[in-house]
Amino acid sequence: MASTLPTLAIPGQRLAPVSSYAAGPGTHVQNANIYASIAGPVLVNPASSKTAKSTLSVSRSPLRTAAPAAPQSAPKSTAPGPSKLRYNTLPAVDSIVLARVTRVQKRQATVSILVVLDESASNKAGPPPTTTTAPTGGASDNDNIEAILSSAANPENHSNSDELRFQALIRKEDVRAVEKDRVVMDEMFRVGDIVRGTVISLGDQSFYYLTTARNDLGVVMARSEAGNMMFPVSWKEMRDPVTGVAELRKVARPF
Amino acid sequence: MTDRRRINGPPSGTRPAVFASSLKSASGAATERPRRHRQPNELRKIFLKTGLIPSASGSAYLEYEPSASLAAARSSPQSLIPPSSALKLACTVHGPKPLPRSATFSPNLVLTTHVKYAPFAARQRKGHIRDASERDLGVHLETALRGVIVAERWPKSGLDITITILEAEDDRWWGDAPDSHDAPWGMMNVLAGCITAASAAIADARIDCLDLVAGGVAAIVSDDEAAEEGNSSTPKLMLDTDPAEHKSILSACVVAYMPARDEITEIWLKGDHSKASLGVDDSSLGHEALIDGAVNAARGAHTVLVEAVRESAERYAGLSTSDS
Amino acid sequence: MASSAPPPALTLPPSQFARLQPHAYLLAHLSPPASSNQPSLRANGRQPAQFRPTSANTGSLTHTNGSAVVRVGDTTAVCGVRAELLPTSDIASWSVSHASSDARKRQQNTTTTTKNDDTDADAEESQIQDLHLLVPNLSLSTGCAPGFVPGAPPSALAQSLSHQILGLLHSTRLVRAEDLRVWYQVPTFGGDEEMEVDADAEEEEEGQKGQNDGKEIKAFWVLYIDVMIVSLAGNAFDAAWAAVLAALRDTRLPRAWWDADNEMVVCSEAVAEATRLSLRGLPVASSFCVFEADAAAGWRAVIVPDAEEEKMIEEDQRRGMQRRWVLADPDGYEEGLSQERICLVVDKEMGKTVIVKMEKNGGWAVDGRELKQLVDIAAERWESVKQILEQC
Repeated sequence: MASTLPTLAIPGQRLAPVSSYAAGPGTHVQNANIYASIAGPVLVNPASSKTAKSTLSVSRSPLRTAAPAAPQSAPKSTAPGPSKLRYNTLPAVDSIVLARVTRVQKRQATVSILVVLDESASNKAGPPPTTTTAPTGGASDNDNIEAILSSAANPENHSNSDELRFQALIRKEDVRAVEKDRVVMDEMFRVGDIVRGTVISLGDQSFYYLTTARNDLGVVMARSEAGNMMFPVSWKEMRDPVTGVAELRKVARPF
Repeated sequence: MTDRRRINGPPSGTRPAVFASSLKSASGAATERPRRHRQPNELRKIFLKTGLIPSASGSAYLEYEPSASLAAARSSPQSLIPPSSALKLACTVHGPKPLPRSATFSPNLVLTTHVKYAPFAARQRKGHIRDASERDLGVHLETALRGVIVAERWPKSGLDITITILEAEDDRWWGDAPDSHDAPWGMMNVLAGCITAASAAIADARIDCLDLVAGGVAAIVSDDEAAEEGNSSTPKLMLDTDPAEHKSILSACVVAYMPARDEITEIWLKGDHSKASLGVDDSSLGHEALIDGAVNAARGAHTVLVEAVRESAERYAGLSTSDS
Repeated sequence: MASSAPPPALTLPPSQFARLQPHAYLLAHLSPPASSNQPSLRANGRQPAQFRPTSANTGSLTHTNGSAVVRVGDTTAVCGVRAELLPTSDIASWSVSHASSDARKRQQNTTTTTKNDDTDADAEESQIQDLHLLVPNLSLSTGCAPGFVPGAPPSALAQSLSHQILGLLHSTRLVRAEDLRVWYQVPTFGGDEEMEVDADAEEEEEGQKGQNDGKEIKAFWVLYIDVMIVSLAGNAFDAAWAAVLAALRDTRLPRAWWDADNEMVVCSEAVAEATRLSLRGLPVASSFCVFEADAAAGWRAVIVPDAEEEKMIEEDQRRGMQRRWVLADPDGYEEGLSQERICLVVDKEMGKTVIVKMEKNGGWAVDGRELKQLVDIAAERWESVKQILEQC
């Protein structure tokens, strides 16, 4: 049965009848048949139980290794892990995202989402699996080094580039799990910080809602007022290695 | 009129060059109307390539094979007046990206299409600002694509499809009266090309689609020289017509067609097809034959599309297959 | 990368690192740890002074007098030149006196014009500028990169590029005004005078006859030079200018004459009679940007280093600690990370490099000595671009 499946599908290509497979991401069902809806390699996810059918899907992640342009220092991501397939490349509830803080207000911080990491609400403490090299395969500008290098910033678009990214809010009460009432936003985030958060709601037309109320969530990269990269020293403090000055942040636990 | 954001030419405007040969009304022009060398159901070759514009989520470049007359004029140039032209266009897809702040919530992917001719694309210089026909093309393209994209998989995000036409198809032969009230037939070929290229670019961007939608054109033409005065001419159905090659196009049709589902998402039929009896069997009405012809042309374009998208998928997935 | 990457808490695949910490990403490539024995390369794999592979193709657009497609890496510029006529009767300020004086002046110059192409001094060369005979426009609203809204009026970048091209066309005097004039010999001895005279015949005739009898300009060719940036991946100017240059080299103007019967200028469609433009020189643009190791350099107050600091910087350099890099032909990623930009336009005359334009802005890092080196790099680039343009 599996032998009849093509390795590579293109949109509109009939893959299999629904009687033998369940339709997964990258496919759609028409007249009791599963058709591909994107171009890519066809994957079969074995059924979790014996009664269920295997899921047929078309992968949108190319599982690219490092682009040839950056040969020397690219960490190899060789093991193609069982990354869960997704219907789209947009942030979804429970997605872990990396975002840059663009505005800090009394009750909330505005961030713009740079990278959607992994959709699974993984509680495991560990680096983001390197296998999700292409967490957002569809938006090729998100994962493809060549695309990043060619486009990253148009000289005049520094302000504009935030409009091209999905915006999100971290409300005051979603910053941390403890001492919620004593949160002062200025001591949690600064503009320019890179924050790891997880999506709690798709929000309204313009904003997603994020939370950092977990030990592994919070600021992962920040520059001091002097402009140097800081390293974390505690769950609420980071230090400038040059000046030695400490600054307050909601720090994500380093691994 | 004055556009302060662009560099304007002489304030009094300029005039296109007038060629001496076109002044002599006695049809002594050395050049003649180009002839169709293809069979009525033979399509021009299409060059289609995806992924040439890396900063876009998806992209495609499409080019029609030059007609025999144009190819001849290219290889041994004699006249500065090109006998016909061949479609060349670039399509980019940007997104899915956030909707502008002013937009209302949309549970679906919001599609924006934009078709613009380069100023040098057509025989007559085009303006920098989109004119009505360009907007019209954009709307037609949007309808053609909206029925194909699985929009509900991309909530509250937008997709921008931009097409730049570098060389358009002629609306008619240049030697024919430029002020004739003939419809702009070339636009239909342009639309078919836009549909096919946009389809490839969307697939290249990995946006969910029901099928690869392809564009195709068919027309009913009456070419017989004798037909000029008599009504005895027998109109013929031709696929993928180059308007420059025909004296009189009675009606034409462009479709956006999904072969896997046998569905049409866009149909645009122009001209008078009621009188055009295609002779052989009367039961087949003019417009039905026309649509069938356009669908056949679209099937032809679809084969090219499949190759281009397959190539895109291979390029994209190339490294993953070696990994696993 | 991990060794040189500042973020301690995170291992990221390169694509994410490139996105989150673009500055550190590029810096890590340019200054690899000494232990790794790796050469200092840019994130795109190029040497600092290396340009992207460039290709050019001309004459493929049907409805143009000249056209070119130039690709510099992933930046693609398509240029089409369209010639239209501007009858002098349409020029408000144009008068007969203007026309005849022009003819006289021109006559004085004919001898030099024919003898030496480079030193000709056409007194009326400014006509190109005064009458707006060259109309370059560059469009980025082609979907060439995200962020440029199609259909919107030209962005600031597009406007600036258009004006840079116009300025360069004027300052290099690339196109000769004489190539754009359509002359008319007013018949003096009845009707048997040849009306349609081409350039050579014209000059001889003038030599034989007196100076006052009328040769007048009936029209000018106006060249609409439209550049569509189809794909933008940094350094649009070099690609756009190369495309303009290639398209102008490809441009053919039909033979045109005043048709007294129809009272209009008519043209010959014969390709054999059409003439190519005789361009002055071959100015080639090379752009650079300066990447500084200190990420904050962009927004810290600029303090000019005193002598002591200068010494330290030099010492660092001797030890191989480079603090800044001049990157040739920057891609979009590098452009976004650097403030200082240098644009050099050079030409070569008899083997000598001539600087046609030098523009530097956004910083103070590059000094005179470094600029000299850049001119040498630009001269090398000139050779390679010349080869590319001559082959197409």
